[in-house]
Order: sequence, then structure tokens, then C-alpha cells
Amino acid sequence: MTSRIGGLAAILLIGGGMTGAQPPKVPGKSGAAADTMPPELKTLIDPDTAEVLRRINGLSPYETPDLKLRQDTVYANTPVDYEPFGAIKPYKEFFLKQMEYTGPGRAIPEPGPDLKSVKIGFIGPIMSTVSAATGGKSHEEVLGIKMLEGAKLAIEEWNARGGYFRRHIPFEMDTRNDNGLWGASGNEIVNMAYKNEDWAILGTIDGANSHIAIRVALKAEIVMMNTGDTDPTFIETNIPWVMRCIGDDRQMGYLLMDYVLRKMKYSRIGIIRASNRYGRFGVREVNDAARRMQHPVIIEMAYGLANTDFSLQLERMKEANLDAVIHWGDAGQSALILNQMRKMGMNQPFFASDRSVSQEFVKIAGANAEGVICGYPWNPDHKDPKLDAFRTAFRKRFNAEPDTYAAHAYDGMNMLIWATQVAGLNRAKIRDVLAYRTKPWPGVTHDIPFGAALDDLGEVFLARFENGAWRYHSREDMNIPRGYIPARDRVNRATGEIDPMQPPPQN
Amino acid sequence: MRIVAFIGLAVALSGPLTATEPVKLPYVYTKWRQFTVADGLPNDHIFAVKADGPRVWMGTEDGLAMLDKRTGKIKSWGEKDGLPWKVITAIDVDKKTGDVWLGLFGGGLARFSGGRFDHWHQLNSGLVNDVVYGVAVQDEYIWAATTTGTSRFNTVTGEWAIFNEKNSPMEEIWNYNVAVGNGKVYLAVWGSGMLEYDLATGRWKDYLDPDGEMEIDLYRDDGIIHVIVTGASPADDVVWISTYFGACRYDGRHWRGYYNQDSGLASDFINNAKGRSADEAWFATDKGASAVTDFKTNTWVTYTRDTKGQGGKAVVMRDRGVLETVELPVGIPHDFVINYDIDGNDIWVATAKGLGWGIGEGYYPGLRERPKTPTKTAAVKGGVR
Repeated sequence: MTSRIGGLAAILLIGGGMTGAQPPKVPGKSGAAADTMPPELKTLIDPDTAEVLRRINGLSPYETPDLKLRQDTVYANTPVDYEPFGAIKPYKEFFLKQMEYTGPGRAIPEPGPDLKSVKIGFIGPIMSTVSAATGGKSHEEVLGIKMLEGAKLAIEEWNARGGYFRRHIPFEMDTRNDNGLWGASGNEIVNMAYKNEDWAILGTIDGANSHIAIRVALKAEIVMMNTGDTDPTFIETNIPWVMRCIGDDRQMGYLLMDYVLRKMKYSRIGIIRASNRYGRFGVREVNDAARRMQHPVIIEMAYGLANTDFSLQLERMKEANLDAVIHWGDAGQSALILNQMRKMGMNQPFFASDRSVSQEFVKIAGANAEGVICGYPWNPDHKDPKLDAFRTAFRKRFNAEPDTYAAHAYDGMNMLIWATQVAGLNRAKIRDVLAYRTKPWPGVTHDIPFGAALDDLGEVFLARFENGAWRYHSREDMNIPRGYIPARDRVNRATGEIDPMQPPPQN
Repeated sequence: MRIVAFIGLAVALSGPLTATEPVKLPYVYTKWRQFTVADGLPNDHIFAVKADGPRVWMGTEDGLAMLDKRTGKIKSWGEKDGLPWKVITAIDVDKKTGDVWLGLFGGGLARFSGGRFDHWHQLNSGLVNDVVYGVAVQDEYIWAATTTGTSRFNTVTGEWAIFNEKNSPMEEIWNYNVAVGNGKVYLAVWGSGMLEYDLATGRWKDYLDPDGEMEIDLYRDDGIIHVIVTGASPADDVVWISTYFGACRYDGRHWRGYYNQDSGLASDFINNAKGRSADEAWFATDKGASAVTDFKTNTWVTYTRDTKGQGGKAVVMRDRGVLETVELPVGIPHDFVINYDIDGNDIWVATAKGLGWGIGEGYYPGLRERPKTPTKTAAVKGGVR
């Protein structure tokens, strides 16, 4: 099919129901009859989505839809000088072509009329527990509770509009704590998929727990929308059921390193990071970019999650005579590290991951926060009536400001509910309408365009603490140079004819 | 020069080999039976299949099933019958005792013995997690690959051992499969490649993607092609490996990678692998059942089902060239293949929509000179061979 659909099919669908050009309807398998489609539902279906629905409805268990798969030319918009083994043409390049779901799920009938609610799963760290990493108190609840609130607000708003339009029943959030101990997230996904019969799931934050969860979601065949785990490898698993609506550490790392290396031309870089998956995988792109730009990281120090004294790490970093220090970890420890650095006379520029963009960091760091720069997955200062409305509603509902976890969860839950509304109660079709979206999702955080790996390829930003507040800057705002991103994949490039590190000559 | 050109033209005009002209070709399963809920299965989504003499055990999304090959009858067990949890992702049979060991997806480990189910889980045993993806019997030990490590249960002493990042080279602990063979236990680990446990020495060895990058495979044959490994199946003195990115074979010294672009693999998304020998292995892809049937010549057969009716196709390929296409009156039950078991000359194919039984009458390994199979073969009717 063509990715852009002509208006005719859409008119047939929206104006006259799923008749006319529709494939023959399979009784009981294509959801609520479109000729009885509620008017509220029609407004959710744009022409492209109408065509996707036309092609996924009425399929037998043995058919797969005739829909064009996304094809990227470069994975994650990686500049050539950040590519691994950049001078070598690899045998195979992954994640350029969208994954398909080829199973029989689209033919599974919808549940009977006695359904009382449409359950959407939520899993996140919302209750205090023992940290799997430290044996001490867990530390991500502050993030998870905001995520829960954002998701809850989205559900409540849809219910205020009439709930699940096809049956006039409410959406219900199946809320689960992401207890990191002994892989409990896997058990929770099993419960959500098989016992509670959720239609899609939103979660979670911790990288390891997210991987455990998506492996279960893959087998159980249920969409897992991630809104808070920025681990690049989360999406690098080739699972057709997994999506993410937040920019990841790869994207933020690229921008941060473009600033550090290309703009500021720092060459002696030190890393201090949490000794967990977030820290370990978060700095991978930072490390790789520095090495590939001929300025390998001078020193990388890891610390335990219960640490409050970082003198062991910082003394060694001080001896390394660094130009800049990059931290990847939680906000509280980030601020403590910064304070201890300054106390030791280490006045290097301090860069950090997005978790430091928080009031907790500012409160602990005090005056030292001034000038700190962090990667950030969106620009909370951008002007958008949707964002204003979200903030107003969030304040009214929770008497607090929404943070990044709340905003992304709000977007992610809205995506899942939209998909459920338009696709009907069929997990495979819920997946399809999201996976085959042709336009970015108009979120409150930003317009969210999926790449072939169903990851958010939207713009990321740098947050700088300036004059007592976080300010968000785009690449253009800060005049940060960008590496060359070729318009073709690595495997099919013509090596030997051109320098792969440079743009092709203009004729 | 003119003579060469003339011969070339004559060959070109003569077209492909005729159907009766003998060429060296692999065995093709042309007789298939399909089993679904219509035949008595509790559910069509089959995660695991294990042949056990006249019995074939199936782990489905909604219960345990057993097919009696002699009668074609299917018996099933659900939670009301004492099965601890309905979703079964792995099965192995203890040949000495006849006990059937079940890996339960979120329900732990179960033993079906003498009509009774016994249950081990996180809260009553040393099972490290209740999400069990793989189970394997090794003498008196039961190995269970779970989402947070692998547990080993000694059925004689009742002792449990846990293998995770603390005592094995697991970079990540998300185990996906376990298999026993060649004096070793092989773990397929999501994010940590393949791990090999030497039963004689108790030592571990890990096999990771040499390029260390998720988004590329730098060289095809330099090692395991990716660290997201879904299955490892020893056969003869090699091990066959499946990933969601392609497949590979390791003979202890040399690696060989396979992708859809350079082999008969129907797809690079592979749920599982089952080795039959050093030359033959079956890969459970999301677009069909693909078997490399002759390693040396990279000859493959891929079985698919037509979208209409029960028929299907078997396509014989060498590298990416098609040698033969066989129309099957009955094909595999569905193209989304999840698992296999090899049963003498027969093959059992677990799919997302039913079980397939490939009946290996006249099966031969490797290649043989034979005429190409006529495009239509006789249908297999009735329940019993």
C-alpha cells in the first residue's frame, strides 16, 4: 500500500461505516459493527488510520495485513562519526525495518457483552520496597508515582468523555507495583495479560525490570508502552509488541556529546555513574561517542546506590585533570557528587542525565546547580495549548506540578486508549493502529514520531540551570553542530567510492 | 567463443530442470497432519511440544495436552484437574521415570507423575522465578530457565542451585531456554548470548557477540550473531542457536551465521531452534518452519501454510536460490512457529494456531539424487498412520 492514503477509503469508512470497500466481514471477529460506530469514535479516526483498520479488520488467522512497514535509512539518526566500527561496512544492520506481527491474533473474537470495563495495565515503582540493587530502600517511587498520576489523569479524562465509546463502559487502570525483587515484574505482566485480561500495558522505569516485562509481553502478545525507561537497549530487542514514547539515552547522549565534543571541544572527559543498569547503559553512548571522536573517556567511576560519600571516586577523578565531568544516575546522588566536587575544588563543567532535572537536585545542590547541563527528552517550556491544558488539569487533580514522568505517562496512556478506541478489543489490532501510524502522535510533551523500532525519534533537548531555574534549549538554540547523517544505510553504502565520514560531493 | 555462446543460449532456452530430472535434493515432508481445538486441543496457541514414545505432550496457553499417536486422540488437563497454572511454556520428559516436567509461564515448575501434579514455585522452593521459559532433564537434575536466572533441582536430594550473575558469566540474567547435550548444559540468555556449563568440570563459558553492538552484526561468522538468544540446541557435536536476529551454528571451533538474506530462513525472527544432527536443524520463525537440511551446501527447506484452506508449500533453497517448490495438500498449521520436537523420522511443529505433525516416511538425511517432487502430492486423510 502507499503510506499516504487517499480520502476515498476514509470517506467510505467514516461516512458510511465499514462497508463498501471493506473486505468481507467475518462474523464476530471484526469488532463492533462500524455502521453503529458512535459519533465520538469517528472523530478519532483519521484517513490513514481508517485505511489501516480496513486492512486489519476481517482477516483470517492465517492472513497478515498488507501494510507498508517503516523503513529507516539510519538507525536512531546516528551520525556517521558516532557509528560503531564506522570505517567498516557491517554484514548486517538491524532495526531499520519495522517488525511485523504475523500471528493469528487479529482473528481473536472480542469478548462478550458482559464486559464491565476495559482494563489497561499500569506497572511502575509506586510502593516503597527493598531495592534489588542495594538491599536498602528502593528509590524510584518518586518517579513512579508521578507516572501513575499522569496515566490516571488520562484514563479519568477518557472516562469523562464517555469511556470506551463502542460499549459505553469505563476504562479501568489495572495498577501494579514494579517491585524489582526477584523479577516480580514478569509475574505481574503474566497476571495482567492472563488473569486480569488487560488490553495493553504501560510501564515501567527500571531498565532491568522493563526487559523482564517485555519478554513476557512478547509471549503473551500484548502491547507494552514504555514512558519512563530511557535505556537504549529496551527497544533494541526486535519485539513487535514494544513501543516507547520518550526519547532515550542514545538520543540524549548524542546531543550532550555534540555539545561537549563538537561545540565546547572538551577532550578530557570523566564519567561518574550509578552502579546499576541505568548508569551502566546510560553512559554507553557517551563513552562510545568520546572514543569514536578520538577523545576517549579518561576515567569512569561507578558508585553504589546507597553511597553518600563519593570521595573515593572524586579523588581519582580530580587527579585525572578533567575538562568536564558527566554523571549518570539519580538526582539526589547527582547533587551530592556535584557538591563534593566543588568542595574539593573541582570546578569543571558538570553534565548529567535527565534524572537530575528535578527539584530534588536543585534543593540539594543549592548554588552549585547554576550552569549544570543535562540531556532532556522534551522541552517543558514549549508553547502548546495541549500542554497548558494538561498542566491545568494535573494541578487541579493532584494539587501538584506534573513532571516529565507524569507528562510522558499521560501521552503514553492517551496513545493506548486511542488505539483501543479505534481498533476495538483486540490486542493485535491495538498494536497495529499504533505501529502503522503514519503521523507523529500529538502529545503534550512533543509530537512523537515512531522510528522503525517503534521508538520515539522526536527532538531531545539540553536543560541548563540558569538563574535559579531550568531552561530548555534545542540544538539550534545553542548552535550545537551535528554530525553528518547519511540518507542511506551502512550495509548498502558504496565504500571505497566516497568517504563514509563525509557528505557526498554535491554535483 | 561462438560455440560457448551457443551452448549458453541453448541452456538458457531449455529452461529449468524438468520435474523428473534427478538432482541432489533434500528430503521434503509432504505428509502433514494438523491438530487444533477442533481435534480436542484445549487451546491452539502451543508454546511447547515433546514427543515421548507414543505420546506427544503439548504445552498450550490454556492447559496441558497429550496426543496419542496410535489413536489420534487428545487428552487435556487444566487448572481444574490440578495443573498449577494454565500457561505452559516448556516441557521435558524424564526418560527413566516417565515424569513430565512443565515450565509454567508465571506459575513456576510442575511435575506430572502418576496422574498427579506437584508444584514448585518462588515461595516454596529454590526456583528463582515463576516465569519459566525452558526446562530440561539432565540425569536426576531438572534445569529451569527463568526470567531471572536458571535454577537446578536435584530430584534425589531435593537440593536447589541457582545460577545468575553472581556465580556464572551472565551479563544479564534473563534466561530464555535450556538444553542438555554433549556433556554440557546450554543456556540461551536474552542479553547474554549463549552460556555453556560443562557437566564434568562445573565450569561456565559464555559466547557473546564479538562486535558487542546491538544494532549491527559486523562479521557474520565471527561468533554468535547477537546477544538476544532464544534457543540453543545441541546435536551431534555442534550446537544450533536461534535469536530474534537470525541463527547460527557452532562446532566448537567455527561459527556460521544465517540470515534471511543469505539462506533459506523464512525470517530472522526465530522463536526457537531444534538440531537433528550436525547437518540439519529446524528454526521456528514467525514466517514459517525453516530447516537447514544440509549444512555443507546451505540447502534449506521452508514450510508455510496457505492463507486459504489447509494446504501449504515447501520451498527448497540453496543460499537464496529456489531449487524446488512443492505444493502440499496439507501444510503446517500456521506460519508463526514457536517450537519443535524431532521424533525419529517425524517432526512436530508447535505453532500459534495448532500442532503440525510432519510424517517422515522415507526420510533421509542430507541430499540425495532424486527427481523433483511433482507439484501435487496425495493428501493424508484420517487420524492414524
